Amino acid sequence: MGHKDTVVKNGKVDTVYHQIPSFQFLNQDSTWVSDKNYEGKIYVADFFFTSCPTICPKMKTQMLRLYERYAHENQLALLSFSIDPDFDRPHVLKAYASRLQVQSPKWNMVTGEKAKIYELGQKSFMVTAQEDKNEAGGFVHSGAFILVDKQRHVRGIYDGTQEQEVNHLMEDIELLLKEK
Amino acid sequence: MKINQAFLGLLAASTLLLIQSSCQSKEEIFRQQYVVEGMMQYEKHCENCHQKEGSGLKDLYPPLAKTDLWKRLNASQIACIIKNGQKEAILVNQKSYQNYMPGNNKLEALDVAEIVTYLRDKWGNDPRIFSLDSARLALKNCP
Repeated sequence: MGHKDTVVKNGKVDTVYHQIPSFQFLNQDSTWVSDKNYEGKIYVADFFFTSCPTICPKMKTQMLRLYERYAHENQLALLSFSIDPDFDRPHVLKAYASRLQVQSPKWNMVTGEKAKIYELGQKSFMVTAQEDKNEAGGFVHSGAFILVDKQRHVRGIYDGTQEQEVNHLMEDIELLLKEK
Repeated sequence: MKINQAFLGLLAASTLLLIQSSCQSKEEIFRQQYVVEGMMQYEKHCENCHQKEGSGLKDLYPPLAKTDLWKRLNASQIACIIKNGQKEAILVNQKSYQNYMPGNNKLEALDVAEIVTYLRDKWGNDPRIFSLDSARLALKNCP
């Protein structure tokens, strides 16, 4: 999914699919997490903030289903970006993660420079993520779960607040796990 | 013949139901309205975190069902938490929950009254109505 480019190689036209670019952020253990950590892995990403009163709890309930279901599947990881990184410092994420009873690196929750996170969210993961004083909690963001394959291609976007949609996501994960 | 019997059965059942419901006192109907409205408000404002069945979520959001909250807190205290949130840690079934709960500042006293009535009815084993006047008074005197 996403923006496509075409290249001409040896007289043949080929399509270059959108890829998640390199990134580097701090996780709940204050260690660096980058795209390198996800080499050869499938992962599900989302955008949230710990003090979010609206859809995040629903998303986290659904993400927790993935966490528990794929606890022993090393090819699959979860990655949550905070869109309130000024407040969600690593120690805040740490407290949140441990109350949710989840651990890195299976489920990394990351924070960093706000502009970089928003740009990555909007341009690469194709979701809404920005500040909005009129929204409850102060931020507007989508409840999307983004499925990324081993080649850093976005393979699907799902509504992470809906159990049915996440069931669908699980079916797609099963398919991706079979890909080489 | 079978269809006829089924129809008669249905008719009898609905007549019984009609008689029963018409015997409900006005107060009971009024209370039921509070409970139903409260349930809708709960779905809108509380369920995301505390979950549909009041189970809470791990150590992040405390459960409401099968808890000692209903014995430890009175309706006025619950009303204040719903409206203003909970900034300090709260003890539920002897476990401390430290996540900050945001307030629901936009809720009116009536909304709060309905939610409290619903919560007590569903999980507090307490069918009393928490009236609008009580809610107003409680919210005026929140700590």
